[in-house]
Amino acid sequence: MSNAIEIRDLEYRAGKTFEVRDLAVNVPTGAMYGFLGPNGAGKTTTIRLILGLLRPVRGRITVLGSEIPREAARMLARTGYVPEAPHLYPSLSVDECLRYHAAFYPTWDWKWADELLGHFRLDRTRRFVTLSKGEKGKLMMLQALAQRPELLVLDEPTDGLDPVVRRDVITAVLDYVAQHNATVLISSHLVHELERICDWVGVMDNGRLVAELPMHAFKSGIKRLRVGGAPALPGDTPFVLLAREPGDGAFETWIVRGWQSPMTQYFDGVGATVREVIDLDLEEGFVELLRTFRGPARAS
Amino acid sequence: MFDQIDPRSPVPLYAQIAGRLRLAVAAGELRPGEPLPSVRQLAARLRINPATVVQAYRDLEGEGFVEMRQGAGTFVRDVAPDRRAGERAEQALRLVRQLLADAGQLGITPPELRAALARALG
Repeated sequence: MSNAIEIRDLEYRAGKTFEVRDLAVNVPTGAMYGFLGPNGAGKTTTIRLILGLLRPVRGRITVLGSEIPREAARMLARTGYVPEAPHLYPSLSVDECLRYHAAFYPTWDWKWADELLGHFRLDRTRRFVTLSKGEKGKLMMLQALAQRPELLVLDEPTDGLDPVVRRDVITAVLDYVAQHNATVLISSHLVHELERICDWVGVMDNGRLVAELPMHAFKSGIKRLRVGGAPALPGDTPFVLLAREPGDGAFETWIVRGWQSPMTQYFDGVGATVREVIDLDLEEGFVELLRTFRGPARAS
Repeated sequence: MFDQIDPRSPVPLYAQIAGRLRLAVAAGELRPGEPLPSVRQLAARLRINPATVVQAYRDLEGEGFVEMRQGAGTFVRDVAPDRRAGERAEQALRLVRQLLADAGQLGITPPELRAALARALG
């Protein structure tokens, strides 16, 4: 399978304090790729690099087969982008915003734009500046969708929106993907939202990609174990020991990665027992991954 | 039918959906020839990735539970009674295994469990 977005050895600097280093990202064609990371991790910077809005110091970016930033125009004609903050002209009406946007996209679909207007309950005559935050968010999404893009790049598209609007917006994206085999890159810190819809996850922290893998692999590999009689020195473990913490009484809590059930044998070998294997959901796995990436926290 | 689908569970969503439908076919809740919801409908209803629904339907097709007809949709196939019974037995076993695992973590012994089961069954 080819990749809709491919980044290799990317380096980017903004001022003295922030940089993106050795960045490699692969978004498979047709994937719904969840881009996770704390605020300031570099998600928006990476998105802007992907769209050719920023220029890297070095490295290679390919999006929909076009080399970025050199061939950005060709890629942008086939890409729908919802930025973090709405950026339309405040004095234009909803209708004028749409007509202005449509002029740039030969693939624009008025029939569907009209449908979405009704579905989102947006009034064509209202001026952009008078719209609520939720209405602005819906208008931005409508524009990105009605241009019938091959790639949707959504930067925190539901941030600050109420649950009803969030649901409307996400449902519209899912409906589009169901009809057209589009690729979606969606950044969010609403982890549970991504857990539902994404089949790939990329985690960024401090300008670097910490992990990139299929959602099910991400979720099934990270576990919390309750270990009785844990050895002081774990030695060679068949899994990656991310962290260990003293627990209640004789039990310690271990956070491990790459876990498979036959690995309980390891504990027999070192005279310990696994009392419980606890599944972590995406949010817990994400938090544990970042915690250990930032500094090895070893209790012993 | 899909009230139990839990995105936070470690069981992949496609496996949860396929499992629920397999059971519905086995229990006769879905009759032969009956259509499944379209991929688009089910993805919208559960607010999940359409590809997840496609994967669930493909798995069920591979197992002979449903038939995907190009352009028409996905339909329940006529599944032999012994196969349906086998599927129900599988599901019962899964439930009991889950019960045993939960009980084990709480330190409840098998005899205690057996007594409780006898009481609950009346």
